[in-house]
Amino acid sequence: MMADVLLEITALSRAFGGLRAVDDVTAEIRQGELVGLIGPNGAGKTTLFNLISGFTPPSSGSVVFRGQNLAGMKPHQVSRLGMARTFQNLRIFPNMTVFDNVSVGAIGALGYGLGQGLFGGAKRAGEISARAWSALERVGLANLAGELAANLSYGKRKYLEIARALATDPVLLILDEPAAGLNDTETAELAHFIKSLHADGGTILLVEHDMGLVMSICQRVMVLASGAKIADAAPKVVQADPAVLEAYLGIDEEEDA
Amino acid sequence: MVVNVSNLSPRLRQLGLVAVLFGAIPAGLALMGGGYPFQVGITALIFVTLAVSLNLVTGTAGLLSLGHAGFFGVGAYAAALAATKLHWPFLLTLPLAGIVAAALGVIVALPTMRLISIYFAVATLGVGEMIHVSLLNWVSFTRGPMGIRSIPPIEILGLDLSGVIGGYYVAATVAALAIFAVHRLTHSYYGNALRSLREDDQCSAAMGLNPVRLKIEAFAVSCAIAGMAGAVYAHTASFISPDSFRFEESILILAMIVVGGLGSLPGAVIGAVLLIVLPEVLRGIGDFRMIAVGVFMFLSILFLPKGLLGEASAIGLARRQLGAAWRGDIGAGWK
Repeated sequence: MMADVLLEITALSRAFGGLRAVDDVTAEIRQGELVGLIGPNGAGKTTLFNLISGFTPPSSGSVVFRGQNLAGMKPHQVSRLGMARTFQNLRIFPNMTVFDNVSVGAIGALGYGLGQGLFGGAKRAGEISARAWSALERVGLANLAGELAANLSYGKRKYLEIARALATDPVLLILDEPAAGLNDTETAELAHFIKSLHADGGTILLVEHDMGLVMSICQRVMVLASGAKIADAAPKVVQADPAVLEAYLGIDEEEDA
Repeated sequence: MVVNVSNLSPRLRQLGLVAVLFGAIPAGLALMGGGYPFQVGITALIFVTLAVSLNLVTGTAGLLSLGHAGFFGVGAYAAALAATKLHWPFLLTLPLAGIVAAALGVIVALPTMRLISIYFAVATLGVGEMIHVSLLNWVSFTRGPMGIRSIPPIEILGLDLSGVIGGYYVAATVAALAIFAVHRLTHSYYGNALRSLREDDQCSAAMGLNPVRLKIEAFAVSCAIAGMAGAVYAHTASFISPDSFRFEESILILAMIVVGGLGSLPGAVIGAVLLIVLPEVLRGIGDFRMIAVGVFMFLSILFLPKGLLGEASAIGLARRQLGAAWRGDIGAGWK
């Protein structure tokens, strides 16, 4: 059982001044899972995310990914271990073409150095290009490869960001609020797409504010409130959990009203 | 009818560039009457080399460097001192100038590359000033404001290139090599990695790129090329003094790539030629020429935010860099 644990979070905490943004969180993600992480605004989702991907150092506790402790690792080192992420507020490279955006993921994973740039490196360039094209085709943006990323619609930029993450050929893909700003039709399309990624064997952690999306596609849902994990179970169980209803659903309904 | 250059094959374009640089331009300069036009040509080519090198680090990698003339000066002094004191030939002083400038670049880059961009810009400004002041005051080594005189002219393997035409061809060769090297870098996936730093370096890190290492590499290459431009300058001018490597020159080089367009190699070349040749062409209108050049620069920023051929807008770059500092969301100058 332990062998297929991909990500193991143990007693992870992060305090900003007096605020414990992430408070003693223990969790694990196994190979091939599609896990949701939800919580109301300010619950610490993004902080937990940044702790996992090496952007923020933890105050205490540990994150072990593929058997390696991530303590002290820089984001690029974490990425090279096979963890890819998207960003909550869409961070593409606007003045680069769609293809070049995606190529960066492949460059980061495969490596392309100064010497290869100066003196050829044709073989590696071929690998990078093949990987970028396959990621573009996976998200359906291959026909826009030459377009400047800044010219894409908001919805397409989301897929561009996912394609860039896929080009790193991740073992674990973490999506940070991918449905933010999408309408219902677009969210349904996205849900379908995430499910297809999962069906292809991908391990995915979906950090979301949109309850509907998470409940409809995830196998397991973790709920964060005030920095602490208050639930970790199948969607149906979580939806019926009184603690979750109080911490999250109640607030969410008021917001929607 | 203008030929659309971008439709030509890369090899044809390279041949065309070589033909223009080594055939058409020197022929034209000779027709204009030799000496002085060639001197302007040499200066333009030295600044083309500098602009191309700055374009790699500022235009492509997005690091605003305000001290580029300092590295140009370090290269010039390294070459001048090696040539006058150790009697090294140009074929040795040229790589020496590149290596010394690159080494200094790495020393400067190591502690400053973790700085948020605008602080990096201020740090390079300080380094440029430090170099100028050192050249000026380290009299026992650099002869201070007296400068270094009688730098031997260029002779390569017995071939005497001491005249302006020889100097032109040397400057053209170095400029062509710089263009070639930077073209290779920026048109490869390495260039994409650097461009991603300019756009969002945190995001590049999340993709597995090491931003600090990439920035140091790009800065070192850029400084090496600037240093070699310094060697060409020292040997063709035969006299150098600290006054040629001030903040004004750094800004001039920056203006060239802004006018030409950040991230564009042809833009850097055109920008450099324009800002060197324009004041010469406008000599007829006397003191008004600098005003005309200023107006030209102002209008180009106003109406061409991405310069003539740029891939990113200079104002956008500045705004992002200042914005990152003002928001203060990554700590006090460090990330």
